[in-house]
Amino acid sequence: MHRNLKIKLFLFFFLLFATILFAILFPRLTLPFGFSYIVYLMSKPLTSLLMTGSKKQRFFFSTLLILGVSLSLLPLFAAFYNIDTDFSEFSRQLPEVQKNLQDKYFVFKVYIFEKFGYRLNIDPVTFMVKKLEKGGTLLLSQIPNYLSSFFEWMLLVPMFLYFLFFQSGKFGSKLVAAIPNSIFEKTYVLFSQFNTKFGEYIIAKFIEATILGTSVTIGLWAIGFPYPFVLGFIAGLTNILPYIGPVLGFIPALIIALLTHDPKTSMLAMCLIYLIANLIDMILVFPLLVSKVVDLNPIIVVVSVIVGGQVGGVVGMIVIIPFIAFFKLLFQEIYKDLSVQL
Amino acid sequence: MSYEKELMDKVQKGEILPDKLDIPILKYLWDASPLGFGAKENIRSFFKKISILNSFSDNEIRLFTKFLHRREFIANEVIFRQGDSGYGFYFIYDGSVNIYANHLNNNIEERGDLIIRLDRRQYFGEMGLLEDFNRRSATVIANENTVLLGIFKPDLEKMLEFYPVLGAKFLRETALIMANRMGQLTREVMSLKKKIKELESRV
Repeated sequence: MHRNLKIKLFLFFFLLFATILFAILFPRLTLPFGFSYIVYLMSKPLTSLLMTGSKKQRFFFSTLLILGVSLSLLPLFAAFYNIDTDFSEFSRQLPEVQKNLQDKYFVFKVYIFEKFGYRLNIDPVTFMVKKLEKGGTLLLSQIPNYLSSFFEWMLLVPMFLYFLFFQSGKFGSKLVAAIPNSIFEKTYVLFSQFNTKFGEYIIAKFIEATILGTSVTIGLWAIGFPYPFVLGFIAGLTNILPYIGPVLGFIPALIIALLTHDPKTSMLAMCLIYLIANLIDMILVFPLLVSKVVDLNPIIVVVSVIVGGQVGGVVGMIVIIPFIAFFKLLFQEIYKDLSVQL
Repeated sequence: MSYEKELMDKVQKGEILPDKLDIPILKYLWDASPLGFGAKENIRSFFKKISILNSFSDNEIRLFTKFLHRREFIANEVIFRQGDSGYGFYFIYDGSVNIYANHLNNNIEERGDLIIRLDRRQYFGEMGLLEDFNRRSATVIANENTVLLGIFKPDLEKMLEFYPVLGAKFLRETALIMANRMGQLTREVMSLKKKIKELESRV
C-alpha cells in the first residue's frame, strides 16, 4: 500500500479511537448527545413520511400528525396528573404499609418459632426502611447536582438536536468522505445498517412499552386496583428491558397486592391482567415490531442485558441490544471475508 | 464546441496553437460568472452524457447526484478486490481503471489477467448494488489518478424511500445494464461452445 494511504488509514483509526475515548471521558456531553441522537432517530420515520408522496399526501400526513399529537397530549397530561396523585397517595400510605409489613413479618416470625423452634434474629423490614431513608437522604443531597445536570441538558439537548436536524447532513458527508478508500464500502454500509437498526429498535421498544403500559393501566383501573397509573407506567418502563423487564414490572404490583388488599380476588385478577398484557406483548407486539429488528438468540439477549446493566446501568441495559446486533453483523462480515480469503 | 475542445482538436491534428489564448471577453465573463454554472453543473452534464442516464431529466439528475459519493484514487490504488463484499456501483468521473480477473492474492504486482480498461463516463460494479451477498467478480485498480462517483446500497435504499420514482428509474436502468451484460455473456458462451465443438471435431 502507498505510504500516504497508510498514513490516511492510521489517522482515521487514531481519530476514531480519540473520539471513543473522548465520549468515555466526558459522559456529561456524551449522555445528552446520545439522548438527542435517540430523539433524532425516532423522528426519522416521521420526516420520511412527511417528505415523500405528493403535496396532497404530505398535507394529509401533516394534518394527521398535528391532530394526533394534540389529541395524545390531553390523556398524557391526565396520566401525569394521576401519576402525581398516585405517588402522593402512596407516600402518604407508606408508614401504614411499613406497619402492615412489620405486623405480617412478626406473625411469620412467631409461626417459624412455633413450628421449628428457631428464633429469627434478622429484621428485614427495619433494614429496608433504613435503606429507603438513607437513599432518600442521599437523593435529597444530590438534588442540586441533578438540577445542574437538568439545566445542562436543557441547554445541550436543543443545541445537539439543532445540529442533528440541520447540520448533520453536511457534517456526515464530510465524515463519510474522510473514510479511507480501502475500508470505505464496508464501513459506510455497516454504519448505515447500525443507524437503521438502532433507530428501528428504539422506536419498536417505545411502541411496545406504550402498548404494554396502557393495557396494564386500563386493566388495573377496570378492576379497581390501587395506583393503576403508577403501576402501568412502571410496567411500560421496565418492559424496555428484554425478558427481565416483565418480571421487574410485576413485582411492585405483587407487593401492593400482598400488603394492602384481600389477596384472594383482586390478586388473581391483577395477575391475570399482567399475564394477558405480557401475552399480547409476546404473541403480537414483539414478533411484529422488535424481533425483526433484533434477530438474536434469546440467551444472547439475556446475557447481553445483564452485561449491559453491569457496565452502564439501565441505559446500558437498553442500548446493549442494538450494539450486539451491530457486532453480529460486523462479525458476519469479517467471517465472510476470511472464508473467501481461505 | 467549447474552446478547450477546439484546442484539443488542434493539438491532436498537430496544428500550431496561437501564442495568446483567444478567448472572447463575453465567453470569459460567462464562464467566470458566479451566477453561471460551476462545478456542480459539470457533474450534471457528465451524467447527461452517460448513456444509461440520458432518460433522466435535469431535475432527476440533480436529485440523483445528491446520493453520490466522490472518491479519489491515486494511480495503482486498488478500488476493490476479487472476492470482496460488494455494495457499490461506480461511474468514472475522471481518469481510468483496469479490471483484472484471477487476482486472489494481496500482491498488487501480481494482478492476474487484464480483462478491460474503462475510461471516463464508463461504469462498473452494478452487481454489488443489486445482489444481496455480492462478491466482486474481478479486481479493479486505478490506472492513473482517478475520480469515481459511487452509489452504495444504503443510498439506493434512501433514494427508494424518499424519491421512489427516481429510485425505480435508476433500478430499471441498472437492470438494463445487467441484461446487456448477460446478453454479452450468453453470446460469448455460445461462441466458446461453438469453438470447443469445432476443436472437438478436428481432434
